Amino acid sequence: MSATTAIPGPAKDSTTALLLGRRRHRVNLIIKICCVTATVIGLLFLASILFTLLWRGVAGLSLTVFTTSTLPPGSHGGLLNAIIGTVIQTMLGAAIGTPIGLMVGTYLAEYAQGSQLGNAVRFVSDILLSAPSILVGLFVYQIIVSPFGGFSGIAGCLALALIVIPIIVRTTEDMLRLIPSTLREAVIGLGAPKWKMIVLICYRAAKDGIVTGILLAIARVSGETAPLLFTSLGNLNWSLSLTRPMASLPVTIYQYAGSAFQDWVDLAWAGALLITVAVLAVNIIARTLLRGGK
Amino acid sequence: MSATSEQTQSFGGVQARATADMNEPKIAIRKLDFYYGDHRALKDIELNLPERQVTGVIGPSGCGKSTLLRVLNRMYDLYPGQRATGEAMMDGQNIVSPDTDLNALRARVGMVFQKPTPFPMTIYENIAFGVKLHEKLTKSQMDERVEWSLTRGALWTEVKDRIHTSAMGLSGGQQQRLCIARTIAVRPEVILLDEPTSALDPISTLKIEELIDELKHDFTIAIVTHNMQQAARCADQVAFFYLGEMVEVAPAARLFTAPKEKRTQDYVTGRFG
Amino acid sequence: MSEQSEHLVKSFDQDLKRLTDMLIRMGGIVENQVALAAEAIMDRNADAATRTVEEDVKVDALEREVEQYVIRMLALRQPMAADLRLVVAALKITGDLERIGDYAANVAKRSMVLAQFPAPYSLGGLAHMAGLVQAQLKSIIDALGTSDSDKAIEVWRSDRAVDNIYNTIFRELITYMMEDPRNITPCTHLLFIAKNLERIGDHTTNIAETIYYTVKGEVIPDVRPKGDTSAYAIVRPKE
Repeated sequence: MSATTAIPGPAKDSTTALLLGRRRHRVNLIIKICCVTATVIGLLFLASILFTLLWRGVAGLSLTVFTTSTLPPGSHGGLLNAIIGTVIQTMLGAAIGTPIGLMVGTYLAEYAQGSQLGNAVRFVSDILLSAPSILVGLFVYQIIVSPFGGFSGIAGCLALALIVIPIIVRTTEDMLRLIPSTLREAVIGLGAPKWKMIVLICYRAAKDGIVTGILLAIARVSGETAPLLFTSLGNLNWSLSLTRPMASLPVTIYQYAGSAFQDWVDLAWAGALLITVAVLAVNIIARTLLRGGK
Repeated sequence: MSATSEQTQSFGGVQARATADMNEPKIAIRKLDFYYGDHRALKDIELNLPERQVTGVIGPSGCGKSTLLRVLNRMYDLYPGQRATGEAMMDGQNIVSPDTDLNALRARVGMVFQKPTPFPMTIYENIAFGVKLHEKLTKSQMDERVEWSLTRGALWTEVKDRIHTSAMGLSGGQQQRLCIARTIAVRPEVILLDEPTSALDPISTLKIEELIDELKHDFTIAIVTHNMQQAARCADQVAFFYLGEMVEVAPAARLFTAPKEKRTQDYVTGRFG
Repeated sequence: MSEQSEHLVKSFDQDLKRLTDMLIRMGGIVENQVALAAEAIMDRNADAATRTVEEDVKVDALEREVEQYVIRMLALRQPMAADLRLVVAALKITGDLERIGDYAANVAKRSMVLAQFPAPYSLGGLAHMAGLVQAQLKSIIDALGTSDSDKAIEVWRSDRAVDNIYNTIFRELITYMMEDPRNITPCTHLLFIAKNLERIGDHTTNIAETIYYTVKGEVIPDVRPKGDTSAYAIVRPKE
């Protein structure tokens, strides 16, 4: 070992090195086992949920689910009004929330550099992002449902919009911030005013990310139950009026799943499967978009 | 940009560089100071950018050379807390005075950056974007302008069959030439180049240098570079910056063979401690 | 030539040092050649003459070595400013030194011919001239080693004295030739020897100019002293 004196650093003792190496090996193995076990447990639960959902959902699925509205137990009803209601409320909620979220996100990323107002807005938006959705439902109940006398589809839309906004604010701000400052400077350097830079270049550059954010927000609200319970309430009859209570899949599932009638429970499973598949689809689209943009 | 300047195009670049005569200054910088907050990044700068010649700016990182370019088209206005005092006179107008019309100034003083910054749109739209900001052109006029600027940017022959495809598909060197063409398309009087080739391979670098040689017949050019050989190849006069001061400015041939200042000498020979 | 701070790349400094060393070594050999050539004439020393010619091979080899080294440095180091001036100066100086070596060898060869004739007259003037040229050469090689521009300018000015002696010797030799045609052969050789010594002085002046430019970065602000008027000399036989 004396031949290695030319190499600087402490001399190596082979037995110690071997012992240390064995210990590292053991610790590594223990940690590995812990991680794998935790993953397997998590995956087991997830798989069992999905499997049950698929098993029971497919059993409850039939053409009438899509063609008939909810009917009293025993009369072969479907979920048409709930599906349509969910689509309407989700789309309207996204339509209301997206522009607001976009603008707030833009404000935060482009105009509010380190300003007090900007920080406050960001803080509030982040709180809203993680607030329990039932609070949003209660809030809308207080300011819309209560004063205007009754549950309505539009109140449901507003509640969903409130959930959409912070998600889009966050993704928009993050995506705009990802744009390198040199690109902005290149636009400004050509003599472009700031608004043209944002609208014509930044939005275009951040397009994929922003669209992904919107899709994820839609996926999130399409499965929301709590805010709708206090706002659009649910409606067992066919209704497209925004001023009257409106049906939605999550609320219907909530009402049916706990009932004593087997066909209602089956429908609840079918609805749950529909929502899951829809959310999954939107998520996959969003992810491919995000990956395609890179 | 007058019509006459577009006609005087065919002088040999090297020949013109070998003569040490400097033209009348296009931009005359006097007593210029620049602050990042409390930090004084430029100290009492005195420098002329001679018209239709290339001024190279060299110096170690953080010496203020890029800052100087950012002053000349007021890029620093984007960031709160940055300010300049003193004079940078261009055609009788002080660039750093608060009443300067920034968008008009930036149309006259174009800038190209270290990394290529193509906009996420087609090659054609990239060029047209800047032009539309300042001029109203018909479709055919715009086509003509796009071809003209891409030709001047030494890119036309390479991309003429795909100008309606995305600019992101171009190679790094092509993207940088697109950025130069985009800047030219606005028809500025001064072009600022901030280390335009530091992200490019040697062949692309030479193409850009050739382009600079070509462009100086029409434009006043300032180029910041870390590469002394590049400054030696491109510039008519070279200014050496150190710690926010302008240490020495001289015709390129003199600065690289016989600098007067000890600090310049140490820097260009690689003796900086 | 090293009164500067250290280069960031240490091997660059070593390269530059080696280049200067090569030049000084070459200068030393050439200096010795000139001394041997002078000895060959004055003392009719055939051995010294042979050695002068032999040394020339070494000088030529060194010149090629310096040239290669300079080209290598230009390609690999891309020297700037003072470094660039030094490297280019080395190329010029090595050429001048090589020419000096050639002239010395030529003087030595002629000394061998000269040895076959009786000395036509006193060689005192030539000896003085050789001494001056040797002193100049020594000074300039010292100046090269110490980057001394003042010394270089001193050498540069002193070339006038060499030229003056040359003019005198020129007239003197022509007079001898007119007096007795048998003197023509030795005197012609002596004339060439004097001319060669004068050329050595000129190349020394060139080196002085190069050193001044290398150190100062500018050319010597004066006009070069041109003392050689023999080109216009007319010597008429005395009636």
